[in-house]
This record gives sequence, C-alpha cells and structure tokens, in this order.
Amino acid sequence: MPGAEFGAEVRSHDSTGVIDLRGEINLGADQALLAAYERAAQDDPRTVVLNFASVDYINSTGIALIVGLLARARKEHRTVRAFGLSEHYRQIFAITRLSDFMGIYADEDSAVTATVST
Amino acid sequence: MSTEDPVAAEEAAPAASRDAAYWAKNVTTLKLGEVPAEAVNLNVTGRRVVGPVQGFGKMWQKTMRVELRGADVSPAEVIKLWKAEFQRFWPERNWFYAPLEGIAPGEVALLNLGLPGRMKLSTGVLVLYADDESFTLMTPEGHMLAGWITFSAETSGGVTVVQIQALERTNDPLYELGYVFGGNRLNSRFWVQTAENLARHLGVEPQVESQVVCVDRRRQWRKAGNISKNAAVRTFVWTLGTPVRWLRRPFTRRRAGQP
Repeated sequence: MPGAEFGAEVRSHDSTGVIDLRGEINLGADQALLAAYERAAQDDPRTVVLNFASVDYINSTGIALIVGLLARARKEHRTVRAFGLSEHYRQIFAITRLSDFMGIYADEDSAVTATVST
Repeated sequence: MSTEDPVAAEEAAPAASRDAAYWAKNVTTLKLGEVPAEAVNLNVTGRRVVGPVQGFGKMWQKTMRVELRGADVSPAEVIKLWKAEFQRFWPERNWFYAPLEGIAPGEVALLNLGLPGRMKLSTGVLVLYADDESFTLMTPEGHMLAGWITFSAETSGGVTVVQIQALERTNDPLYELGYVFGGNRLNSRFWVQTAENLARHLGVEPQVESQVVCVDRRRQWRKAGNISKNAAVRTFVWTLGTPVRWLRRPFTRRRAGQP
C-alpha cells in the first residue's frame, strides 16, 4: 500500500521555528525537508522543533536525512527538538542514538519551552 | 464508548507503523551468535552501536551508484541476491560472517577486515533496517567508523540502479589520523569495488558514479575517549598474544579434559 507523500509546513511558536512533518520520510523527502528547515531558520531562531505526529513511515534513508538536518543545525548553532513521536519511533531514535543529540518531548509546549539544551 | 466493542478497541489502540517490521528492535548492546572457527571474534558482543552523531571525526556522506543497464533484474531481486551473498561482492582480504538468520533486522554480523600491513581488524555490524529494496548496517563502538551504510536498488528511467550510501565519521582520533592519510580514499574505493563486483556478477560492465560530501567539518573532541575501545588496537594486541596462546593451548586443553 503506497503511503502518504511527504509534506512539511512551517510556523512560529514563541520565536521557535516549528516544522509540522507528515507522510513518509524517505529519499523522496530530501528536498522538501531541507526547504522546510531553511524556511524555519529564516528568522534565525535558536531552536527548531520537529513535529512527527503525522509521520507514518520512516526508513533508514529518512533517518539519514534527519541526521543531515541535525548536522546543519549544529553548524548554525541551533538546537533541534522533537515531539509527537510514537513509541515505535522513540525506539528507533534510541537505537540510532539520535535521541542523544535531539531532545524528545511529549508535546509541543514542552518542546518549545524546554530550557535545557539537548 | 464500550471498551468491549472490538471495533472501538481497535480504533483506540495505536496502529503499528507500516515500517515496524523492517527495523531492529530493543537493541541496547550487540550479541553475536555462532561464528566459524577460523574467524577472529573480538569487539562485538557487549558493544553498543554508534551513529554518525556519536563519532569523532568529520562527518562524510558517500554515495556510489551504478546502473545495471542491460541486466534483466528488478530492484527486489538485486537486494535479495545482495543479502544472500553479501560477502561475495566484497574486495579481497575482507570477510563478512553473515548471521545464521541472514541479513534481517536486529541480526549481528562479524567482520574481519584486512588493514594495510597485513593487519586484521575484528569488529561487527548490526542490521539496523531491512526491507525488500534496501538494507542498512550500523557500526558498533570500536569500529573504524561510527555510522550506517544503506544498500538499495530502485528503478530509474526503466533501468535498475544500485546505490550504496554511507553516513559516517571516524570513531576516534587514531582512526581519524588514518582516514586523513589515505583511509578515507581506501574506504571509498572499498565500496566502489563492491558496487563493481555486484554489477559484474549481473553481467554489466560497471561505471560507478561516486560522490563524497563532507556534511560536518567539525571534529568532536569530547568523543576522543572513544579510542579506549579502538578495535584495530585491540585486534593488534590480541594478534601479538597469539604465540603465547598457542603455547598455552595444550595445558588449557588438559584442564578442560580434552586430549
């Protein structure tokens, strides 16, 4: 069964860039994910938050895209946080050890207001 | 809403992700199954896996692509072959001891890699992800590289195209030094040769496109302590001890009650 095509909307929440992700994060998401990050970084926020609540498929290439985004954000001295991850994706983030470098939060408010840099 | 209503209960339960079957589950440390007697089994069991964010050196993305033009083979058939005969396509002097269950999510394989100067490195990999058209291997602590490598195939313009893509950084300063002085080039060559060997096996004279991009130029000095688990050093020390182990073998056997 083909999954939902990847999409990303960008908005601001208390001077934090929030990217609402949806659909499949795979090789095809490359350009759209990068474009969304660039839009979110336009106002030079210190933190970018990724919302995974509407993501229903991530393959290993998709995880590599997220690592690439993380590397870029670190180069620009920006923190990346995430919320809306299902238990399954929390496990994947733990196994791949992405969660060592990206704070995982239960909801958007916690992700935006967290003061500890992760 | 009644919780005894099966439809309602199903709606209330979180749906399993479509990708759940393809990912390794509940991995904290690696555990290796049986390995052939001739293999050097070091630096795998008990090790944690490390992604590209945990390593020391610069982060690289390496992509090797080869078109299988003229070969009547689908992406799924290529990946099935690759999983079944992964070792066959590696350059000489390198051994991939596949797990008994084959390349499947959560399985662990032992690697014996040939290093310059006839040295050997014993390490392993975790099968992090595997579906019909791709699979990903992730390295453990002590491996030369922290990261993962994805082997995939797709149809592009009516032709099956094979891709190897690694996202990696060296694990510690010693490996990084080796990487700067030729290791990076040798590593890229390793995967180009692998793609060439696969293409030739399928009857295609290969033309591999190779792209190497530095994703993060910074070295993570706080990870310099990874050197304590350096698998090359540990394998070297183990090799130095081989004569002593060989001399002690009759006594060890006697204690174990063997002839």
